[in-house]
Amino acid sequence: MVSDIIQFVLSPLIALVTGVFLLGLSRKIIARIHRRYGPPIYQPVIDVLRLMTQRSVSHGAVFELGVVFALAGSFVTVLFIPLGGTELAGEAHPFAHGVLCPLSSAGGLLVVMYLMLYGPLGIALAAGESANPNASIGVSRKLLLALAYEVPFLLVILAVMSHYETISITEIVARQQESGWGVLSVPLSAAAAFLILPAMLGIRPFDVASAPQEIASGPLAEYGGTYLGLLAVQKALHLFVVIALFTDLFLGGGVNLATFLLKVMAVFVVAELISAVLPRVRIETAVKFCWKWPAALACLQMVVTTLSK
Amino acid sequence: MDRNQIGKWLRNPAKMANKYSLHAVYFCTGCGIIEIPPVITTRWDAERFGVLPVATPRQGNLFMITGYVSLKTLKAIIRTYEQMPDPKYTVGFGSCPINGGMYWDSYNTIKHLDRYIPVDGWIAGCMPRPEAVFVGVTHLWTLIDKGKADGYLRYRKNYAAYRRNQEMLFGELDWSPLYPVGDEAEEAKR
Amino acid sequence: MNASLRTGLEATFKGVEVTGPRDGMMSVSAPSDSIPVVLGYLKDQGLDHLALVSCVDWIDQGKFEVIYLLTCYMRNDTDYSAEQRLHVLLRTEVPRESPSLRSVIEVFANAEPYEREIHELYGVHFEGHPRLIPLFLERHYEVPPFRKDFDTRAYVEQTFGSIPPVED
Repeated sequence: MVSDIIQFVLSPLIALVTGVFLLGLSRKIIARIHRRYGPPIYQPVIDVLRLMTQRSVSHGAVFELGVVFALAGSFVTVLFIPLGGTELAGEAHPFAHGVLCPLSSAGGLLVVMYLMLYGPLGIALAAGESANPNASIGVSRKLLLALAYEVPFLLVILAVMSHYETISITEIVARQQESGWGVLSVPLSAAAAFLILPAMLGIRPFDVASAPQEIASGPLAEYGGTYLGLLAVQKALHLFVVIALFTDLFLGGGVNLATFLLKVMAVFVVAELISAVLPRVRIETAVKFCWKWPAALACLQMVVTTLSK
Repeated sequence: MDRNQIGKWLRNPAKMANKYSLHAVYFCTGCGIIEIPPVITTRWDAERFGVLPVATPRQGNLFMITGYVSLKTLKAIIRTYEQMPDPKYTVGFGSCPINGGMYWDSYNTIKHLDRYIPVDGWIAGCMPRPEAVFVGVTHLWTLIDKGKADGYLRYRKNYAAYRRNQEMLFGELDWSPLYPVGDEAEEAKR
Repeated sequence: MNASLRTGLEATFKGVEVTGPRDGMMSVSAPSDSIPVVLGYLKDQGLDHLALVSCVDWIDQGKFEVIYLLTCYMRNDTDYSAEQRLHVLLRTEVPRESPSLRSVIEVFANAEPYEREIHELYGVHFEGHPRLIPLFLERHYEVPPFRKDFDTRAYVEQTFGSIPPVED
């Protein structure tokens, strides 16, 4: 009971801290690639703190509801994702501990798949209330992008679920810890998931939904002050959720929290290195790309998995 | 960060956060805007200071007026300034906002910016070099520390005077007053 | 084209004076009420790009001189020969008191902002212009600002100097 409560508190806290750290790390990486120094790593903390002290205007109840929706969605999704730890008996890892996942027995991959959409949907619901045409364009682009990456994402998850014959993420992690990482068992799915990772994270080349130069930050155009601070927190949590899911499904989770966080950081650094040098693609190109190669790879993996069973 | 800084952060985190996260509204006023892209790109990196350009006034707290202000631009500047959330800081960049600069005898530019919106600091030059921008930003930090960068408070306090100046210039204004003026102010006080 | 243009103009219209062509520029002076017709003729001759409409204030002679700059669109490299690389300045004069011209929008639709600008800055009225409202200026000016008898320093002193500072 006590350990459950500790897990419920610790899991979102770890997600928040790591997400904010990854946001700062991304700005530092991009700066170093640009051959300049960049802000300190704790700059997102300063930004969120400053945003929380500003008083901005609200456009109505639905406007504020969207922020709550998106933040709650990301927050709750964290509770379903295991953050390292192992249940294997008879393993003599020095620093292993039990699996850190508060809601591990409640639906696994299917629930996560549904809850991950709360972010874009919440913001889409609310940004329309602000009556700014930039926000409307941004909302349409965001939903189109969500549609674009959901198709290969579903195929990837189907392949993984049919390979491991389970929908529980903790089960998948345990199976990977016994018999090899997911990149070796379902390599095409891992490749497809890595190709759509920038679209799910909203970083270049697929950051068309929140393009500052084109549509004045899209759905975030009318958000300021406290609302924007909360949305920044939501962005950090969403970042962590997506990369943690990728690590759990394809990189074997981690025997303990430290290994897990190291893997998360490695995946994020690779994704950010690729994103730092690519330009932004248009929304049609993004949809066409996501429905072509990652979907093809995921379909191929499904065929291979079905045939080999 | 040394112990002194950590003490300052713990005592007044809001003020320190406002200092080190000045997001500038990318409002390209006049010829001075040509000096801003070098400041925010790689060679003279402004992101080290926490200064980033943002696309909308709702997300920003620093407003740099970078050049001559014609009457049409002044309308846009006032509307943008009123959309920014408090606390916000304004910096007059170049010599044109200070006293009209090169266009001191022009029929269509305003000569003193601080008669229409409150200005916290000025950066002299035509155009100022990027190093001057950084000196200005660090000076703004010291002003925020001492509590003297209170342009937004002055706007609220003297809003009747600012609005009267704006109306003297334009006649009837298209936008409603940001704070209650005149009779509504008297009503509100009672 | 140049020589034939010159002879054609002088033959078709009376009252026009043609100078040039020299160094690729030809200057045509026409009376103010014949401007749309002359422009239509020049457009038919191949000068289908109205690049600029400008105005000069000859205050000592008491007239405004409105100038239309016409060129030929460069369609491709082979067509744009030396003969076609011709700029024609069509000049006309209007008196300074109540200046008025016919608008040339039916001939060249892109003259609309130029005529608005000349109207607000010089005070020349264009008949037939659908939307003769200010383009750049925000205030009302007693004397249009680009006229030579507009005193800028007195205007600045009176308008901007009369606005008090909010605080010291």
